[in-house]
Amino acid sequence: MRNIFPRWSNTIPVKLIISLGILGAVVTAGITYYATPKYTRVGYQPTQPVSYNHEFHAGELGLDCRYCHTGVDKSSHANVPGANVCMSCHQNIKGDSPLLEPVRASFYGEDSNKDGKLSEGEDINGDGILNAGPAIPWVRIHKAPDYVYFNHAIHVNRGISCVECHGRVDQMVEVHHDKHLSMAFCLDCHRNPEKALRPMDEVTNLSWQASDKDGVDPLIAQVHAGLELKDNWGVHPPLSCTGCHR
Amino acid sequence: MIKENNPPELPVGKEYWKSLDSLADTPGFEDWVSREFPEGASMLDGVQRRSFVKLMAASFGLAGLGMTGCRRPEHVILPYGKSPEELIPGVPAYYATSQPSSRGYIPLIVESHQGRPTKVEGNPSYLPYGGSTDIYSQASVLDLYDPDRAQGSFSRKQLKSGVNRWKKVPTASILDSLTEEVSSGKVALLANHSHSLTRGSLIEKAKAKGIKFFEHDVVDYCSAERQLGEALGIELGMRAVPKLGSAKRVLSLDNDFLGNREANELANSKSFMGGRKVLNPGDAKKMNRLYMVEADLSRTGGVADHRLRLDSSRMTAFASLVAAELLSKTKTIDAAVINHLKKLGVGAKKHQAWVLEVVADLLSLPKQSVVLAGSHLPEEVQLIAYAMNRALGSIGQTIDYLQTDNTDGSIGSLVKLIEDGEIERLIILGGNPIYHTKGFINWENLSKKLKYTARLGASIDESSQIADHHIGQSHYLESWDLGLTWDKSVAVPVQPLLAPLFDTISETSLLAHLIGEDGDDHSRVKDLHETLSSGARFDDFLRLGYLDYKATLVNDVDPKSAILSIKPKQVKAAPLSADQLDILIIPDFHAHDGQYSNNGWMQECPDPISKLTWDNALLISPVLALELEAKHPGIGLLPKPTMLNKSGQIAPDVAQFDGGKQKAPVVVVSLDDRKIEAPLYVQPGLADYTVVATLGFGRTHVGRVGQGTGYDSTPLLNGSGSLILKGASLEPTGRFQILANVQEHWSMEGRAIVREANADEYISDPDFADHMGAESHSPPMWGKDQDKSLEEKATSTPRGNSAYEHPDHTYEKSDVFGIHQWGMTIDLNQCTGCSACVVACQSENNIPVVGKDQVLRGREMHWIRLDRYFSSTARDGAEIPSDVQVSFQGVACMHCETAPCESVCPVNATVHDEEGLNAMAYNRCVGTRYCANNCPYKVRRFNFFDWNKRKTDELYQGPIGDKNDSLVDMGKNPDVTVRMRGIMEKCTYCVQRIQESKIRTKVNAQRTAKLESGKDGAGIKLETSDLKVPDGTIKTACQQVCPSEAIVFGDISDPKSEVSKLKNNPRDYSVLGYLNTRPRTTFLAKVRNPNPRMPDFASSPHSAREYHDKAHPSHHGDEHGAH
Repeated sequence: MRNIFPRWSNTIPVKLIISLGILGAVVTAGITYYATPKYTRVGYQPTQPVSYNHEFHAGELGLDCRYCHTGVDKSSHANVPGANVCMSCHQNIKGDSPLLEPVRASFYGEDSNKDGKLSEGEDINGDGILNAGPAIPWVRIHKAPDYVYFNHAIHVNRGISCVECHGRVDQMVEVHHDKHLSMAFCLDCHRNPEKALRPMDEVTNLSWQASDKDGVDPLIAQVHAGLELKDNWGVHPPLSCTGCHR
Repeated sequence: MIKENNPPELPVGKEYWKSLDSLADTPGFEDWVSREFPEGASMLDGVQRRSFVKLMAASFGLAGLGMTGCRRPEHVILPYGKSPEELIPGVPAYYATSQPSSRGYIPLIVESHQGRPTKVEGNPSYLPYGGSTDIYSQASVLDLYDPDRAQGSFSRKQLKSGVNRWKKVPTASILDSLTEEVSSGKVALLANHSHSLTRGSLIEKAKAKGIKFFEHDVVDYCSAERQLGEALGIELGMRAVPKLGSAKRVLSLDNDFLGNREANELANSKSFMGGRKVLNPGDAKKMNRLYMVEADLSRTGGVADHRLRLDSSRMTAFASLVAAELLSKTKTIDAAVINHLKKLGVGAKKHQAWVLEVVADLLSLPKQSVVLAGSHLPEEVQLIAYAMNRALGSIGQTIDYLQTDNTDGSIGSLVKLIEDGEIERLIILGGNPIYHTKGFINWENLSKKLKYTARLGASIDESSQIADHHIGQSHYLESWDLGLTWDKSVAVPVQPLLAPLFDTISETSLLAHLIGEDGDDHSRVKDLHETLSSGARFDDFLRLGYLDYKATLVNDVDPKSAILSIKPKQVKAAPLSADQLDILIIPDFHAHDGQYSNNGWMQECPDPISKLTWDNALLISPVLALELEAKHPGIGLLPKPTMLNKSGQIAPDVAQFDGGKQKAPVVVVSLDDRKIEAPLYVQPGLADYTVVATLGFGRTHVGRVGQGTGYDSTPLLNGSGSLILKGASLEPTGRFQILANVQEHWSMEGRAIVREANADEYISDPDFADHMGAESHSPPMWGKDQDKSLEEKATSTPRGNSAYEHPDHTYEKSDVFGIHQWGMTIDLNQCTGCSACVVACQSENNIPVVGKDQVLRGREMHWIRLDRYFSSTARDGAEIPSDVQVSFQGVACMHCETAPCESVCPVNATVHDEEGLNAMAYNRCVGTRYCANNCPYKVRRFNFFDWNKRKTDELYQGPIGDKNDSLVDMGKNPDVTVRMRGIMEKCTYCVQRIQESKIRTKVNAQRTAKLESGKDGAGIKLETSDLKVPDGTIKTACQQVCPSEAIVFGDISDPKSEVSKLKNNPRDYSVLGYLNTRPRTTFLAKVRNPNPRMPDFASSPHSAREYHDKAHPSHHGDEHGAH
């Protein structure tokens, strides 16, 4: 009787096992990379040029977010404050701290005698202006892709708190990436805004929770309060592409 | 074999044809239109599909290895050391400024993103322009970021080979040597004419110091005012500024007042087209009427109700004839003058019938009629036009004559002084005089007599080649200045939006330095403002962007003796023939006089009439083409009737079209001993024996964009300053040149695309637009909802209304139905074809420039295109008609409610949003191009390459190709995605502007309500009306720029909005409405206003007659009922 399987078929099982092994490895590597928070940068915590402590300033001292991030309720972009904002306090407090050296360099720049006026020998580049120093190279943590046009002003003014996307920054010594900020994350909230809406005065209060008068679960209390706000304010977050992609 | 010069008759022509080839109905053309993209457009060049797949497989493998490469790179945020006041990152700032130009200063508002000017808009406070700008202002922002700018100052060193080498030197050091040179005396300045008051005062001071000043402009908008003043014997210029808002009858003698050949295009478009706005039959009775006499086919001629083709050299005789008729009727002048004019007008006698009726019509509405003479015409015509306006009582009513200063020395006197050794040092300020005057000045010899030459210029060009030093000139967005608008009614500031990007200085700084004046441009402008305003606040001036200025009117002057002194010899013109041609030289649409030849936006924006890009051509009339064809068989100008095509018609061959690429025969143009070579282009509507050449192309020293484009017509110019040259002839070279003509692309021929009627027809049948097109034969598109209001239809009729079940989109049932429904109307009666919308859109939406090679492959990227159609009276077969009517139609994405593109997208990259926008999610698009295939309007554009990233000549290198200069990226709008290769794109109704306005409205409503309630904001109640964007807040880029307000955008679910009202106008119709695409962009049909007594009167527009001939061949003239 002739062999049903030709000779070369003897190696098939081995080949199959090796192939499956490679496939498995690729799938594992793929999942490890793409389907874990690392891909979406959750937990990303770069070292900043100035070790600014959000827990101390925003938490303990109770500085409002908007004290530094001034454009957040006016602009699409929540700006990182200029050195002048830091120096408005630190000219008086801990003015000589070595940790603040980059801030001072950025603020004073050519103004070597720190009097705010252009004095003899201060105009190094000769343009007749007292130039500020080099910008502090803060490392960007939260970044929407270039094709996403996120607007801070509309969220902050319509009762979406900073905490929804950035987490409890007031409890972070050094800020890290807290939420994964993927499109599903955005859409989840755009579909059910009641889960996040809060009174406008509480937007920068990161510890705020809907009051549970009847002892109900805080989550349910939030949904109840949120639904009322949604109805009152006419909140219909865009669900189509043009809302964010232009 | 059929004889070529005896073309057999074709049974019926096409309604609309966009090129000679489409008119000719060739098999090649049919094949061409049946494809979505022109041949070659969708083929991979140089790479076979198989090898492409191999390559891709390999690159995917490599990509897997380097997974770390996928990590997001580290970004840094660089905040200010000291934040400037009132600057919020992410919120654009707007500054009032103005663009200095030879057409007066153009008031602007410029958008700036963190110090980078990105978009130019008109300043709406200046009412004559009403917030519009022309195409050149739109494109000017690109010049700021031109990598080929002079990025500093240079000194020249000539190598032995004659090639100039430029060495960069600090501007300050050049200024020092300039001071020395000036102190040695015998200095002259050569500049363009300017409307700057700052410069004017500095020039006066320079003259007082013994520096001589000369001006030269090749396109001299001010020549007419000088000539008129001279002719009337007054010492001043007399600038004719028409006030067309009150004009009902306009006779234009080769005056392109809606185009770039005259200065006040924007004000004229706004006022004149305003008089053609027809919203009801009552308006049609009051509509203005334009008679146009011209040699070429201008945009103004395209708007005209009656058009007479007349060779340029015949204009004076014609004007005399009109004046003789008109003045003899008004009887306001001596019989001697009339007889003299009659004598002068003998040469135009054959147009007597036409002229008689025009004169009768002008006189029927005295004080509401006006005669305009082209600024390039000789002084006799200016004088005669003045006399006619005087007789009509138009002065002060429909036209003002402003007093202007007499200008300074001409370039001819400068040359003489240099030759005599009176001038040894020359400083050329701006312009490009050597390029323009090389036809009659030998600069090489002349420069040997000069001891020193300096040149201030934006780039190192032809005029820098004789200069010892080239000084980089700052862009107007980097300079301070103060100047006057053309009508001299306001003074406007030029304020910088950023410090000079490079080591460059402004013209006024240089002048101030020459005369040793202290202070900077800012203080000079401030001081000047103080004297002009007698102490008003400078900040207010900058904020508002204008200051009232009083122009002086010229007192009445009797033109009698001036007219009598015109000698018949001056008017008499030699007979014209193919060997005795007139040449009319006009500023080019793309390059103007050459100042925009390195501007990619301008180069790629198709000429509105010829539809050429990246080139200019010598335009000739069909009559001349036939004669040339007979004289030189095989020149390849016209289609030859040779064979029968499929449908049994005699078809010409397609010799002059090669795969859709237009092959233009190159000829030698001889004029006396001057010769140039130029490609020919047959242009219907031209006067028989006038050929039209354009300026600004064929430059030898120009940046990468302008290099190798077009031919140079300046060698033809003589020193007389006239742009009309007589006695030319053409000789074929036997060579051909490929022209990038976009007219073949996306033809919508043979249907009622542009619908037109005469005013009389419109009055008797306001619904005429509904009775045209295939949809007038089909069941109503809206089914049972046909008679519902626009608002109901937009918000409640399920999209589709077809046999298939559709999701319920009604407002009540859907939580996500938008509170606005966006829509647009384009009034075809208002469009002049100026194409400013095309470039405005390009600037707003980061649309790339693709280059001539890619335009030839049909890959241009403009989101809005301007279709130009010609129609004519009965034609003889394939013969090209000479008299045509022109119709323009701007076509962008129509945002169809039942968009065909959406249903074929395999990845849902193009879908509808809740407010009726046909959205395009770039990051989802995989580039199948099915959508473009399925779009009946052909408005989708595909990124075949990384246009934005790669250099135009490195596109085919792919990822290894050189990247673009990053300087250009500074001008990009940060609110719009910059698209990459493989992505489909199209008009978005400026979704970024919509979203910004919506956000601003919601934020303001919420904040105001909270402030009013005084509580924490939980209890406030906002109604839908609070969250709606008020009508008129959002203007799309094309709408904002339009001087004649042809485009209106808004919320169609609001019955009170402007756009809703227009959509309810009976003239409103959908293009290709029978496809049931339900486009959100609809058009308002065009209404023409011809005079029934004119010899060339047609009871219907040619296009409408042709449509009815074809649609109802059996019952001509029958009333076509509504369905």
